[in-house]
Amino acid sequence: MRLLFIILGLISSILAVILAVLPLSNFAFFPAIAALIFGILAFIKSRQENKTKHTVQLIFLLTIIALALATFKSITATTEIGDTEQLEQLDENSLEDSKEELDEIDISE
Amino acid sequence: MKHLFLFLALGFLLTANAQNNAFKADEKLTFTAGYNMSGLMTDFAQVTMETSSVKTKNGSLLRLKCKATTYTKWDNFFKIRDLYESYVNPTTLTPYLYKRDINEGGHYKFVKYNFNHKKKSVKSLIRKKSKNFESGFWDRNETVKIKGNTKDIVTTIYHLRNLDIKKASIGDSDTFTVLFDNEETKFRFTYLAKETINTAIGKKECYKLRISLENNDALKGNSNFLWLTADENKIPVYAKFKVAVGSGELKIKSATGLKN
Repeated sequence: MRLLFIILGLISSILAVILAVLPLSNFAFFPAIAALIFGILAFIKSRQENKTKHTVQLIFLLTIIALALATFKSITATTEIGDTEQLEQLDENSLEDSKEELDEIDISE
Repeated sequence: MKHLFLFLALGFLLTANAQNNAFKADEKLTFTAGYNMSGLMTDFAQVTMETSSVKTKNGSLLRLKCKATTYTKWDNFFKIRDLYESYVNPTTLTPYLYKRDINEGGHYKFVKYNFNHKKKSVKSLIRKKSKNFESGFWDRNETVKIKGNTKDIVTTIYHLRNLDIKKASIGDSDTFTVLFDNEETKFRFTYLAKETINTAIGKKECYKLRISLENNDALKGNSNFLWLTADENKIPVYAKFKVAVGSGELKIKSATGLKN
């Protein structure tokens, strides 16, 4: 049982870190909470069975990193659009090309 | 009785086509596209819908333009720069030229349709990137036969705003034939209810419509909705699309140059 909690906790905490690094950082909270729960359960089991708690500490460390990063990103997040220079250029060129084509058609059709 | 009602419903939808009362040139609507999972929302792109007037030798046309741009934080992962355009008759909203230039995460595609309503056909050009050609592009020219009222996707969105929904009753639906990727796809819009929702441009009373595809499974299930404001402008303020996990959303951010 202890091993199962450790494995689940490790998987969730690694997933949380990965999500926190990606632009999907908002979704890192789900696996982070799961990792915390599994971590606590693994910690209790380890204490009952008097076994080493090093891996449990690793789970907590990873989860804290993920939570901190995700929180930081959600606070400082900017919703600015990227470089649209090319798109604007495309827009203008397309309008010019279209005008040439549309000059040839009969609008009353 | 049922047929009579259907006939009446169709009648008012057709008469509504004759005049454009919902928007004018130089209107700009800005949206935020996001992904929602259990209440956690991640915005990934900005979508704009603009109209402008275009003068040609034979008269004046309306240019309907939709742009999609990912936010900076997404650009390194999946950069989107899409441009959809349609040149239409300002009163009847009949499309003459449609262009779609998409650039999504390295995938490029250009589609152009020249509508010929007399011959009921569309001259189509599809351009993709290819290393096998010197120009770097692979062109496919085709002539597609269409039905009389087939439109492109951009025109259909604007056309929807021009429907006289206030005369429709709950449960009424209408079907539009849309030419997409050289195939005629039938979009069905069903009027579900009148709802008041909070948006970035204020609290709005809206028509809630359900969107479904008749012969295509790109939009799965019956959980794709569109909210249009219940006024003369019929601004699309909110749209919700069901995806595998969670849902995709389109929320209005700003609206300028409105007609009414």
